[in-house]
Amino acid sequence: MASTQRKKTAAHGFALKMITPTVVILAVLTLYPLIFTLIYSFTNYNYLQGADRAKFIALDNYVKILKNNYFRRAMWNTIRFTVLAVFFEMLFGLLLAIFIKSLRWGQKIMRTLVLLPYLLPAVTVALSFRMMLSQNYGIVNQVLTAMHLPVYNWFMDKHTAFNSILLIDIWQNVPFVFLLLYASMLSIPKDQYEAAMVDGAGWIRQHFYVTIPNLGPSLALCAMLRVIDTFRLFEKVNILTGGGPAGTTSTITQFLYNNGIKSLKFGYGSAGAIIMTILVLIFSSIYVKKAVS
Amino acid sequence: MKKKVVAATLLGAAMAMTVASVSFAGDKLTLVLRGGSYADSMQPAIDQFAKDNDVEIEVLPLEFDDLHSKIALDAANKEGAYDLCMVDGSWMAEFTQNNVLANLSELGYSFDDDIIPATTAICKNGDDIYLAPYFGNVTVLLYNKQLVEDAGYKPEDIDSFADLKDIAQKTHDAGKNGFLIRGGSGDNIVSDFIPHLLAYGGWVVDDNNQPTVDTDEFKAAFTEYQDLFALGDTMDKDDIVAAIDNGDAALAIGWPGWYVPTEDSNGGYIPIPTKATDDGEEYKTSMYGTWTIGIPANSTHKDLALKLLEYVMSPEVQLASVENGGVPCRYSCLQNEDVLAKYPQYEAVCKALENGVYRPVISQWAQFTEILGTEMDGVLQGGDMNDGLASAQEQLTELMSE
Repeated sequence: MASTQRKKTAAHGFALKMITPTVVILAVLTLYPLIFTLIYSFTNYNYLQGADRAKFIALDNYVKILKNNYFRRAMWNTIRFTVLAVFFEMLFGLLLAIFIKSLRWGQKIMRTLVLLPYLLPAVTVALSFRMMLSQNYGIVNQVLTAMHLPVYNWFMDKHTAFNSILLIDIWQNVPFVFLLLYASMLSIPKDQYEAAMVDGAGWIRQHFYVTIPNLGPSLALCAMLRVIDTFRLFEKVNILTGGGPAGTTSTITQFLYNNGIKSLKFGYGSAGAIIMTILVLIFSSIYVKKAVS
Repeated sequence: MKKKVVAATLLGAAMAMTVASVSFAGDKLTLVLRGGSYADSMQPAIDQFAKDNDVEIEVLPLEFDDLHSKIALDAANKEGAYDLCMVDGSWMAEFTQNNVLANLSELGYSFDDDIIPATTAICKNGDDIYLAPYFGNVTVLLYNKQLVEDAGYKPEDIDSFADLKDIAQKTHDAGKNGFLIRGGSGDNIVSDFIPHLLAYGGWVVDDNNQPTVDTDEFKAAFTEYQDLFALGDTMDKDDIVAAIDNGDAALAIGWPGWYVPTEDSNGGYIPIPTKATDDGEEYKTSMYGTWTIGIPANSTHKDLALKLLEYVMSPEVQLASVENGGVPCRYSCLQNEDVLAKYPQYEAVCKALENGVYRPVISQWAQFTEILGTEMDGVLQGGDMNDGLASAQEQLTELMSE
């Protein structure tokens, strides 16, 4: 009995020793910056003036940022953008996965082609679309003009700017959702489809009662990853609109960049970053719960 | 005693000779510059300097905001990563308050009479020089030659904002964009609008740096700005230049760094009109956006950096930079007959550089433009002007009280 206990303790000690390096690295790389961000968020730290001149100002940064109309608008834009982008990315990603899996030939080529947008850096995508949607020399407006259709000032008009960026983001990230769901689909046993067919289920019912239930955990994971990523949307907005016109495309990260990073008010920026982290945690926890269940 | 004097003289002479023959061979300088034509115009001189002095020079061309962040972030280090940096005039207050830049006067640098005096004002703090005006960026009026002619004007006849409106109206009636305004970030919008505001006798702050954006002058200028917007469109700078050059638009406010037309180009630029109406009062309406160069206080190669700074600021190098899109702040370059024969617009640039207005020297300028630009953009997109400007005034007052 004592020997078994000793063995257990030794094994426990060995396990602790093995995971200690990982825990230390994680603590240094993840917790340390997070804790410092949290500490700075309670100060008036300005980078140029130095950390030694930073004063503790309790919740002033949080009060100020939450009272700021631009921040509230940026928060609303971010949430709206995230909900719409993730919804459409999931929908199109799923449809694309079902479509490509149903192909009898050319699956490999299609897989590769579909993935291409996701492989491009966000900056490249933004610059490409800026050229294509340029009001002056952009191919999109030239085609619309040739077809006698109305043309738009895509990124400078408040009626089109938000949706233009949304479409670009969806275009780029649908492949990610497709890839995850397609891989997951390949592991669904064929006999489930055969059983459904025997029961008289058509194409739509097969996917509704077999494919989607099997993809549940993958869908939840995918949605969570996309929510986290979309919440941090920055490059496309910064390059294409700079948050304009009239703040209609400003996001939390864009706000933090303009008001925290550019002005070097790291205390204020840190408070915004903490608020954003909390929001992401709230949103993603919904999906985590779903995934765990 | 005589022996001591002779010895001291000999020692001094030996030291002077040593200093004069200091070799920088093998040293490395790192330059952080504003990307685009600003850095491009300096590149040949940098290459030549590196060759002549047997040194290595690394150039980092950056975007506006990135450049500001990089310089500021490096300023906290004891030994800086950069030896020479390009600085926008609007950063001067923030940088001098926080000892980011080396005092060039103490290093032995001084201005000569050839440099346009007005361009050096932003480079000094008191009598001390911290920066040198490298690239004479100043707002000018971009125009399409054909469309202005079609509207019945010669460039030299455009002397009021009423003329601009007339040309814009006629161009708009002909199915083209009469006047383009710059969209995007708050800073873009404010910079684009300031010449209009100046023509109406307004300004964004008072003598105590308190905001003055909810005034009659501001509203009059903004109303005129909205009228011009209705006769054209809003675009980013690349589209503005393309539209002017390809004849899709007649007029826009721009910067020499955006566009280097030649005698044969479709577009060109002239000084911005100095009055709102033909019989109105005249004001200085060109706003400086001069790109200056300085040496970070924590540079580890100040002597070599100063030598490079003096080299790129020399009249010969500045004159040569014109062929690479440079806009010197020197009379000898901007009034050079050969230069004017090929690039006639430099006459306009010279006038604008002599009579420009600096943006307020306040450390909050980046946030100031962000707030004002966003509110102005809201008005341009259909919002109420009185509400927008009142909101901007309130927020800016709070900002300036911090």
